[in-house]
Amino acid sequence: MTSQLKKEDSVGKVIVITSGKGGVGKTTSSAAIGAGLAKRGLKTVVIDFDVGLRNLDMIMGCERRVVYDFINVIQGEAKLKQALIRDKRVDTLYVLPTSQTRDKDALTQEGVEAVLNELREEFDYIICDSPAGIERGAQLAMYFADEAVVVTNPEVSSVRDSDRVLGLLNSKTKRAAEEGAEPIKAQVLLTRYDKARIEKGEMMTVEDVLEILAVPLLGIVPESPAVLKASNVGVPVVLDEPSAASQAYEDAVSRLIGEVVEMRVDGERKPGLLRRLFGRSA
Amino acid sequence: MPIQDADEREAQAPATSTSFQLRGKLFTAVTLLPEGGVPDAAFYAALDEQLQKTPQFFNNAPVILDLQSAPALARTEDLRRVVDLLRERKLSAFGVQNARPAQLAAAQEAGLISVTTGNDTPLRVPRSEKKGAAKPPPPKPGKIITTPVRSGQTIIADQGDLVVLAPVSSGAELVAAGNIHVYGRLRGRAMAGAYGDTRARIFCGKLEAELLAVAGLYRTSDSLEDALLGQGVQAFLDGNKLCVEALG
Ligand SMILES: Nc1ncnc2c1ncn2[C@@H]1O[C@H](COP(=O)(O)OP(=O)(O)O)[C@@H](O)[C@H]1O
Ligand SMILES: [Mg+2]
Repeated sequence: MTSQLKKEDSVGKVIVITSGKGGVGKTTSSAAIGAGLAKRGLKTVVIDFDVGLRNLDMIMGCERRVVYDFINVIQGEAKLKQALIRDKRVDTLYVLPTSQTRDKDALTQEGVEAVLNELREEFDYIICDSPAGIERGAQLAMYFADEAVVVTNPEVSSVRDSDRVLGLLNSKTKRAAEEGAEPIKAQVLLTRYDKARIEKGEMMTVEDVLEILAVPLLGIVPESPAVLKASNVGVPVVLDEPSAASQAYEDAVSRLIGEVVEMRVDGERKPGLLRRLFGRSA
Repeated sequence: MPIQDADEREAQAPATSTSFQLRGKLFTAVTLLPEGGVPDAAFYAALDEQLQKTPQFFNNAPVILDLQSAPALARTEDLRRVVDLLRERKLSAFGVQNARPAQLAAAQEAGLISVTTGNDTPLRVPRSEKKGAAKPPPPKPGKIITTPVRSGQTIIADQGDLVVLAPVSSGAELVAAGNIHVYGRLRGRAMAGAYGDTRARIFCGKLEAELLAVAGLYRTSDSLEDALLGQGVQAFLDGNKLCVEALG
């Protein structure tokens, strides 16, 4: 289908980027994690499940190259290879954009499954950018996932929604429904982390968030003007100039593929923090 | 998979006919006890204040009006008005309890049904009728949960005790026929003795609960003493009072 060979022999891994709450950084994180994996030579596709909004292709800078989309493929109006857009900067990175005109009912469970199965054969990683909410669209984005990255901002409502989503991952997904299947591996990615506001007590501390969510921490992405700047020019933040945010995403990607990297808060390594935080999670 | 969804509240074996199914359904209702006569502005003001404090708990809650202390609330139009004003607050009154005969007639006229609940007539789990059963019945199995109970999840132990060895999030709900034990932090709601067992108790290692209830009598977090927060506690019924005490 695509020229680049996938690196690993086994079937690709499906990772859903989800949160419950909107505006917390799911799409930003999907683009950054997808690009980060691809930079390491892993063949990666990022799929936009947010039907009707179409943010991902803009953040990834390919909105002017969309011909066919995810919905066309599901409805049998186009072949998968016609809809996949290859990134111009990293040749192992692909985007499967969504439709701006259809509504989310155009997604069907069978259709999603068929597309994901086809992608698993070709790609090492399949990143699903989930819409906000806990309704059908979000549930379809997580249903076939092997792993989940739960994007959370350090504030009460976001943490509460993430907790809700962790419950759905454990109950409303294929791995939850199948007898004997390993549960989805879920990790929390703390984004828009603002040290000054946390010190003032306006936002929750990392410890407080993890104490409630009780899952491992994938990374801490600081609030950074570099994110907005990168998304305005359609560049995933890890492909832009180095910044505290891009470093944080690079570290998160390393942890996602199993490397052990000390936690970094606002660009500074915090030896021991990772151990301490992992120590307390289940 | 130990985590269950609210759907499990439906009874297991539906009675089937050709055209429809009947399912027993279990749910929690809020009992509202107006005092004196027709509820006045002060009553609604106090209610609104309560609703603001714990909006989650009351959102679209089914409501039973307990008329025991409101003998003068006996006219159909007054009851209709109460139902309407509750509905404006997203509370759905559907029944009355402890109604005097005249009140009951007026309530039925207003579309409210007569309900007898938990404390007044505890439901007994039907015993097997078999005679001469030599052995005592085996202990009821109960349920043990080892993974976190998340916001939006409900875990129900239809029989026996519910034991949770993990944190229970705010917005999560535990329901048990018998006792509830939570060894992690309890931030959600716990309802023990859900079928009317007034001897049931709740034990938890760290109290931060939104609501504790035994056999239908409940206390929300704002009515718990601050000194108990974060403590190991037990909750139990002493007559008509739900007591919450520090453990040990
Ligand atoms: N680390 C960050 N620092 C600053 N702004 C951020 C950061 N992460 C996300 N944003 C901004 O927040 C907004 C919402 O992000 P987005 O990724 O679209 O969220 P979602 O997909 O969860 O709705 C965007 O304007 C984005 O630029
Ligand atoms: Mg988005």
